[in-house]
Amino acid sequence: METLRFILNGHPVQVEDLDPSTPLARLLRDQLGLIGTKIGCGEGECGACTVIVDGKAVVSCLYPAWKVQGARVETIEGLKQGDQLHVLQQAFIEANASQCGYCSPGFIMSAKALLDAHPRPSREQIIQAIAGNLCRCTGYYQIVDAIELAARRLAGEENGTRPAEEGQGRIVP
Amino acid sequence: MNRYIGASVERYDIATKVAGSRKYPQDFNMEGQLYAKVVWSEYAHARILAIDTKAAEQVPGVVAVFTHKDVPVNEYGIYLMDQRVLAQDKVYSVGDPVALVVAENEKVAARAAGLVKVSYEPLPVVTDVRLAMRPDAPLVHEERGTNILHHIPIRAGNIEEGFARADVIVKGSYYTPRVEHAFMQPEAGLGYIDEQGRVTVICAAQWPHDDVRQIAHALALPEEQVHEIVPAIGGAFGGREDISLQILVALAAYKLRRPVKLVYTRAESMRGHGKRHPFYMRYRTGATRDGYLTAVEVECITDAGSAASTSIPVLQNAASFLAGPYYVPHARIDAYTVYTNNILTMAMRGFGATQPPFGYELQMDKLAEALGMDPVEIRMRNLLEDGMRAVTGNIMRHGTGIKKTLEEAALAAGWRRTSAGWQKPDLGAPSAPHKRRGIGIACGYKNVGYSFGFDDKSEAHVELRLDPQGQIARVLIRIGASEVGQGVLTTLTQIAAETLDVPIEKIRLALLDTAVVPNAGSSSASRQTYMSGNAVMRACQKALEAYYEALRAEEGQDVITASYVYRAREMTPTTPYDPVTGQCEPHISYSYSTQAAIVEVDTETGEVEILRMVSSTDLGRVIHPANVFGQVAGGIHMGVGFALTEEFIQQEGQIITQSFTGYQIPTVLDMPRELIHRNVEVADPTGPFGATGLGETPTLPTAPAIIHAIHDAVGVWIDSLPATPEKVYRAMREMGKKNARRRQGG
Repeated sequence: METLRFILNGHPVQVEDLDPSTPLARLLRDQLGLIGTKIGCGEGECGACTVIVDGKAVVSCLYPAWKVQGARVETIEGLKQGDQLHVLQQAFIEANASQCGYCSPGFIMSAKALLDAHPRPSREQIIQAIAGNLCRCTGYYQIVDAIELAARRLAGEENGTRPAEEGQGRIVP
Repeated sequence: MNRYIGASVERYDIATKVAGSRKYPQDFNMEGQLYAKVVWSEYAHARILAIDTKAAEQVPGVVAVFTHKDVPVNEYGIYLMDQRVLAQDKVYSVGDPVALVVAENEKVAARAAGLVKVSYEPLPVVTDVRLAMRPDAPLVHEERGTNILHHIPIRAGNIEEGFARADVIVKGSYYTPRVEHAFMQPEAGLGYIDEQGRVTVICAAQWPHDDVRQIAHALALPEEQVHEIVPAIGGAFGGREDISLQILVALAAYKLRRPVKLVYTRAESMRGHGKRHPFYMRYRTGATRDGYLTAVEVECITDAGSAASTSIPVLQNAASFLAGPYYVPHARIDAYTVYTNNILTMAMRGFGATQPPFGYELQMDKLAEALGMDPVEIRMRNLLEDGMRAVTGNIMRHGTGIKKTLEEAALAAGWRRTSAGWQKPDLGAPSAPHKRRGIGIACGYKNVGYSFGFDDKSEAHVELRLDPQGQIARVLIRIGASEVGQGVLTTLTQIAAETLDVPIEKIRLALLDTAVVPNAGSSSASRQTYMSGNAVMRACQKALEAYYEALRAEEGQDVITASYVYRAREMTPTTPYDPVTGQCEPHISYSYSTQAAIVEVDTETGEVEILRMVSSTDLGRVIHPANVFGQVAGGIHMGVGFALTEEFIQQEGQIITQSFTGYQIPTVLDMPRELIHRNVEVADPTGPFGATGLGETPTLPTAPAIIHAIHDAVGVWIDSLPATPEKVYRAMREMGKKNARRRQGG
């Protein structure tokens, strides 16, 4: 197979002798050492492996690695700028939106694809964007809150306070 | 003081988790590592005639194929050692590993695993516990002579007298299915020989020190020659309390002297660990016309599957809760757990306390309906309080907060307290003409810590590093408590910072390596806040005393250390069941929950939408409000799945639900549109800062509350979980036919 060239988290990457059956998640994890992309099911059902390819959230456990030829690929490792966490990562911390944490990178990448395309998403758009991501720990409320908090911050609307009142969770306002 | 208890500080490990840099077992690799693949049993019950590994061994890149002959002591098990590391004479379920192929890469290992030829003689399969209890049933473990693994009787008062006093008697039969933990991180392990020559396993585990006991036993090594390192754990919920692949990677590394990695696929994860016990419960409940309970009779049979795992302790727990959190003067309870050829059943969030509320709470609702009484009112009249006697003969104590949770949840859900008693709220009009609204409420309670005389203990080591001025510069805590996502690391740092009165940033926890940190017991039984919280708090208190003494002595010490082993029985001794009457002092402490559900049922499809869930939990004392909310919401998530969608299906022992398509856990779209949670803090004087435990009770009331709400909406009782749209729709149609017949007849 011809040399695979793509942009990974802003940097050009090339991979020689790629086995064409390799899914993107395995290329990222096994060959490029980016273990932040998690594999939860390997069948595209849980969303833990979500990465962004040319602006679109994809489940990388099913996405053939050869398809990223010439594409821009973003993974959880690309969000941090130096020591500075991305606004979504910061919001996940403040909204307490991660417990075991295994699903968190996938949720954050789904949310990033949403916010990149729709900087001011409705609650309904947020929910639809993460409907393909499974979490067994949180019950999702704090995750939805975190994404809404990040969206508000990106819109310059709010800083600091958590959107939901303590002891209240809302899927739809 | 009191800066940290009750404050939602940043979770100890969250920054690295959201950054994607935190490592889980599958993220570890070593130079020169090999890859293993399990050959699973194809049969639910069969005799093994021969295992031919030749073809597999000849595949280029295969390093070894291990079978039972290679296991020094081929047995393990958390409670009874009735499991084989690799199947020997028989397979007992499709969850049994038969061989382990080890190769230079994953693909070769997988291909070679398919070439291991196992000759089986199929045996009769028994999968229904009621059939398995019959004397002529095929035996799962022949040497035992019966499939009944354990029976617990409880006798309180005089059951005949209890029913004679009843004005109304309600009967009910209930079934709860096999449920999968569905933690997001599939099992993974890396075994290797460390620089000191010890067998080392990196894996996710709820009780690493107990894993070491079992690994060492199977390898016939002294425990000092084995250790387990536990990095980040991607969820557990009871499903990592038992050994899964630990002995397999340890065995391969021990034999080959090379690192060996094994990662389960999702389908293997679903096959390779146990499930929540299915419960068959038959109830007869009597009450006076004023709604006071007079008698409860229960027969409960749980499916242990192919091996004991913790089925006996789960049954012990369940039996103590089957009568419900109520004052019941006369009770007769018989609880059985029975071997079958299904996949073994094990610990899962609630540990035998999750299924009983589906029985005892629906019985209360049916009683209330029979008496024309409000469901909150009837519960208020019967709930246990401090000083009251439970059916096991013990007196409730240490802050029995269940009534308070009912009051909080009922008020928040819109119930009104009137001179005529509690009254249900008006729910408003449904969103469409073919939909109906309903409300339901349910209570649940569960023990905190190990019960029935078990010597529950947790050990903590604290080290204070002093700066040249004698101030505490850093604090290191060593404790073997697994962070499974519940937040125990955060809780323990909060307790330490509060006790020592130092900034929380100064507190660090040692990495969990069983060779380095002391045994804290398992992260289960909602026990770590209470047990390890107590151990850390007391070790810190001891360290502080030593610190002040050192300051007085002015000897220029720069390290102060202290240890504490918290043993629950010194504060709150428990006792085993009396074998005839079941009377005992069952539990150390309790956590209590009540939830109300408001649902809308689509009468055309049977679909149930949960509009609102109101929750209240008594956890003694809130340590971290945001973590509490997260645990409650996560518990309700599991309860919603239990109520509406989740069922791990096996047919004749073969697995039908092998993926998240077949086994459906709730997505964000399936959650209650709104969740309101109220904490109740009835302090337990024996808990750290009054705290008890929280991890499990929020799952308990969810399903009965939802099922009650469905009944309130459309009039049908769904007595067998999950309440799928098809089941609800059929029940409505049956009811419609019955009513039509009644009208014609009348």
